[in-house]
Amino acid sequence: MNFQVYNRDICVGDIKIIGVSSSSLLLVGDADTINLAATFDTPAESLIVGPFVPLSPKI
Amino acid sequence: MMPMKRMATVDRIKIDSVILSSVFQIGDSQHIEGRSNALAVQREAEIFFGTEGEYSSYPIFSEPIAFQPEMETIIGHTHTIHPFLKVRNIDITGVSSSSIVHLGNTCNVLLESRVKHIRHLLPRTKIQQ
Repeated sequence: MNFQVYNRDICVGDIKIIGVSSSSLLLVGDADTINLAATFDTPAESLIVGPFVPLSPKI
Repeated sequence: MMPMKRMATVDRIKIDSVILSSVFQIGDSQHIEGRSNALAVQREAEIFFGTEGEYSSYPIFSEPIAFQPEMETIIGHTHTIHPFLKVRNIDITGVSSSSIVHLGNTCNVLLESRVKHIRHLLPRTKIQQ
């Protein structure tokens, strides 16, 4: 990939953010490599209908 | 390719809360690495056992996440004509679960978040009574 970058003025007024959460990044600046990854899992067996049994205990 | 890095200038920043191993960084950094594992259990009744939940019993916390190839071959050059990043106001309510607000330059950032959602519902017969 051939990549020419011309950095001119970047002036931002106001930034309003409610939440920066679960391994997110708010960067005001430069970076070489940024790798962000998120995975979540709600398969069918995550829905448990029945008496409340505690999950497997902490070992 | 070490381009001349820019200067971030922020006039005013307001952050209400920085919790659960999150970072508010002012200044440059070299390497950032963060992980966040969460077991999100929602129950129909307010019951909390306190000593439950073990990450190793769920594969989502150990399976590899397919990342893009680490480094593409990038040929090019950065011409910095105006080396400033200006922001007047930043207003953030919350920064949570290993997140980062970073004012300044950095090199490598690797952040990972893994959440296992579980829903506990009461048996349908109990609800109709």
